[in-house]
Amino acid sequence: MFIINCPFCGEREQSEFKAGGEAHIIRPKQPTELSDDQWAEYLFMRKNIKGIQFERWNHAHGCRKWFNLVRDTSNDEIKAVYKMGEKPPIK
Amino acid sequence: MLSYNQALKGKKIFQDLQMEEIKPIMKLIIRGKKREFISAVGKSLNILLPTESNTSTQSDKLTALWLSPDEWMLFSNETVREDSNHYEIKELLSNKISIKNLGAITDVTDQFVMIELKGNKIYELFQTGSPFNFNDFQNKKGAVTQTILNKIDIIVHNLDKNVANLFVRRSFSQHLFSWMNDAASRL
Repeated sequence: MFIINCPFCGEREQSEFKAGGEAHIIRPKQPTELSDDQWAEYLFMRKNIKGIQFERWNHAHGCRKWFNLVRDTSNDEIKAVYKMGEKPPIK
Repeated sequence: MLSYNQALKGKKIFQDLQMEEIKPIMKLIIRGKKREFISAVGKSLNILLPTESNTSTQSDKLTALWLSPDEWMLFSNETVREDSNHYEIKELLSNKISIKNLGAITDVTDQFVMIELKGNKIYELFQTGSPFNFNDFQNKKGAVTQTILNKIDIIVHNLDKNVANLFVRRSFSQHLFSWMNDAASRL
């Protein structure tokens, strides 16, 4: 359990949110030109690292908006929260 | 509102807490992103939509609740006629907004049930089943939040000291109301 600072509503408890997986995955411009392996790489393969991870979250039981979040998966410390379409404030 | 069955029957009275369904109340969800949308709503209804998060504004007839940066709920301050589901305000907004593609207007009168809570134990009741921190909220008149109560999505509007409105989806209302009665009896 942790507190997430929703960029629209402010600080809320984690149970109001839904995790939406890894952020900043770019859809290939020409999917028809990809091999099955490359397509599977885009579609299914996600990082699951111990450490800093960039994620998408949805404030499902609040404003229902999506946003990005930088989280340290080892201790659930939230490093940054930023809106969709914005560049991550840390690398 | 036609062939209307009351979702929650009767007024429940506890020590320092009363709850009752208020009906029929007209409720609309309005959505729009453009600046012209906010000004068109303002001009047609003479109400300024709140742009600051978790706040509300009020005019003589209507209250506007902030739900999200592009979504508001409008509801009538007084009960409306029971034998009709035709609302002038919806008609007006449809003409000024939907037709001009500025935004969307949805009638949610029947979708949401409004429960009025009175008394100084409102937030003690909410604290028994909600992850939201009501400490600042309860002192801020007009504050609005969407959160969870007993795992059910709700909208809470702090109308005044010791008066709050709670909106819940109709299908969840009976369960939530019976849970609230149970929780209130143990406060």
